[in-house]
Amino acid sequence: MNLELVFEPFQYAFMVRAFLGVSLVALVAAAVGTFVVLKGLAFMGDAIAHTAFTGIALGLLIGISIHLSALVFALFTALGVVVLTRVSRVKDDTALAIIFTGVFALGIVLLSTSPSFVGDLNSLLLGSVLAIQPGEIAVIAGFALFVLAVLGLFFRRFVLVFFDPLGAEAAGFPAVAFQTLFLALIAAAIVVSIRAVGVVLVVALLITPAATAGLITKELKRQMALSSVFGLASSIFGLYLSYFFGAPPGATVVLVATSLFVVVLALQALRRTGGKA
Amino acid sequence: MTARGADLALEVRNLTVGYGDRAVLKGVSWQVERGTLAAVIGPNGGGKSTLLKTAVGLLRPFSYDTLNLLGKSPREGRRSVAYLPQREEVDWSFPITVLEVVLQGRLVKKGWLGRLGPQDREEACRALELFGLTGLERAQIGALSGGQRQRVFLARAVVQEADLILLDEPAAGLDAQAQHELAGLLVELSRAGKTIIAATHDLDCLTGCFDQVLALNGRVLAAGKPSQVLTEEFVVELFAKHFPKVGAGGEVTVHEP
Repeated sequence: MNLELVFEPFQYAFMVRAFLGVSLVALVAAAVGTFVVLKGLAFMGDAIAHTAFTGIALGLLIGISIHLSALVFALFTALGVVVLTRVSRVKDDTALAIIFTGVFALGIVLLSTSPSFVGDLNSLLLGSVLAIQPGEIAVIAGFALFVLAVLGLFFRRFVLVFFDPLGAEAAGFPAVAFQTLFLALIAAAIVVSIRAVGVVLVVALLITPAATAGLITKELKRQMALSSVFGLASSIFGLYLSYFFGAPPGATVVLVATSLFVVVLALQALRRTGGKA
Repeated sequence: MTARGADLALEVRNLTVGYGDRAVLKGVSWQVERGTLAAVIGPNGGGKSTLLKTAVGLLRPFSYDTLNLLGKSPREGRRSVAYLPQREEVDWSFPITVLEVVLQGRLVKKGWLGRLGPQDREEACRALELFGLTGLERAQIGALSGGQRQRVFLARAVVQEADLILLDEPAAGLDAQAQHELAGLLVELSRAGKTIIAATHDLDCLTGCFDQVLALNGRVLAAGKPSQVLTEEFVVELFAKHFPKVGAGGEVTVHEP
C-alpha cells in the first residue's frame, strides 16, 4: 500500500475536518448507544433525530444556531414522551410515533419556505460531513466532551436506574431524573451526529457499533469500549472509501458499520457450526 | 410524634389508592411494629403490590389519614427502606455483576455526586459473605438462579442499612428448597432487628414463619397472627374463586365470583 495514498485525503482541510468531526461523533454515539441497545431505545433515538430535523429547519429559517435549535427540539421530544406516557395511558411507541412524525412533517413544511429547500433537505436527510466548518468542530468537540463526561460521572447511577428503577426510586434515589438525563444525552449525541450522517441514518451510529460489540462481549464496560472502537473504525474507514470512490460519506460510514456487524455475526455463526461439526 | 408511632415500621390509616381513576384499595388501615416479619396475602389483583408501592412512594395515594414509614413521612422514611420489586420489574438481562448490584445499596444513599469508596466495597463483600455468595462477585446477575438473585438483593438491602425491607412476590419462580432457604433468611433478618413485609399470592411455605398476616382483597379482610387469619374457612373464602374444586366423583366445578 502506497503511504502517500493513505495521507492523500489529509491535504484538504475539509477532509481533515470531516475525519475529526465524524470520529468524535461516532465515539460519542457508540458510547451512548451501548445503553440505547441494552434498553431497546432505538425507536426513541429515531424519533429524536426526526424532531431534531425540525429544530435545524427552524434554526436555518430564523438564523440562529442549528445545534441549539436542534437540541431544544430533541429535548422537547424526550421530555414530551416522558410526560405523555406518565400522565396519559398512551403506550410509549404510539406516543412517540405521533409526536415525531407530526413534528417532522412540520419541519419539512417549514423548510419548504426556504429558497434553498432542496439542497438543505438533502444535506439534512443524508448528512454533509464534507461541509463541516472550522467553528463546528469546536461545537462538536464541546458536545462530545460534555456527553462523555456526564456518562462517566454518572455511569453507576445510570446502570442502577436501567437495572432496577423501582428499587432505586423506592430508596429515595432520583431515578426519574437520571432516566430523563439519559434521554437528554441521547438527544445531544444525535444532534451532533446529524451533520455527519443525516437524520435518516443517525440511528445507525447509535445502534450498529453497540450491537456489534454486544455480539462479542456481555461485559458492560468492554461492550462500551468495543462499541467505540467499531464506531471509530467505521467512520474512518467509511470516509476513506467515500473519498476514493466518490460515494456519499455519511451513507458509506453507515454501510461500513453495517458490514462490520454482518461480518462479526457471520464469523460467530461459522465458529458455532464449526464447533458442532 | 407519639412514642408509639416511632415504634412502628409501617402505619397506614384509611388509605385509598389505585391507578388512573380506579381505586384498587379502599380505606385500608394496617400497622406493623418494628422487628416484625409480616406477610400480605390475597388473590392477584387484590392490591398487595399496590399497598407496597404506595408505602415506598412509587404510587401516589388518592387519600389517606396517616401514612408513615419508620415513624417518618414516606419521603424521609424511605431512605432506610429497601424494596425488592416483582421479578419482571427488574432487568435481569442487563449486564451487571453481583458485586455491582450489592454496591447499589451504598450508591442510593450518595445522592447525585457521592462516590463509592473502599469502605463501601468492604461492606459489600462482607454482605456477600453473609449471604453465602462469596466467589460470585464477578458473576453476571442474569446467570444466577432465582434463589441466588434474591440473596443478592437481600445483601444489597443489608449494605443499604435498610431497617424495613419490602418484598413483592419474593417466592415467585423459586422451587420449594429455595423458598425454604428464603424463609430462613427472612427469619434471620427479622431476628437481627429488621422489619420484613412480603407480599405473596400463594400460601407457600413462606407464610408459615410470619409473625403477622394481612389479608387483602380490595380492602382489609383480616389482620393479625397467622393462627387467627389463616383459618381454613377464611383461606377457602379468600382463594376459592381462583381454584377449581374437584368433587368426590372427580367432577370439577369452578367457583363463580
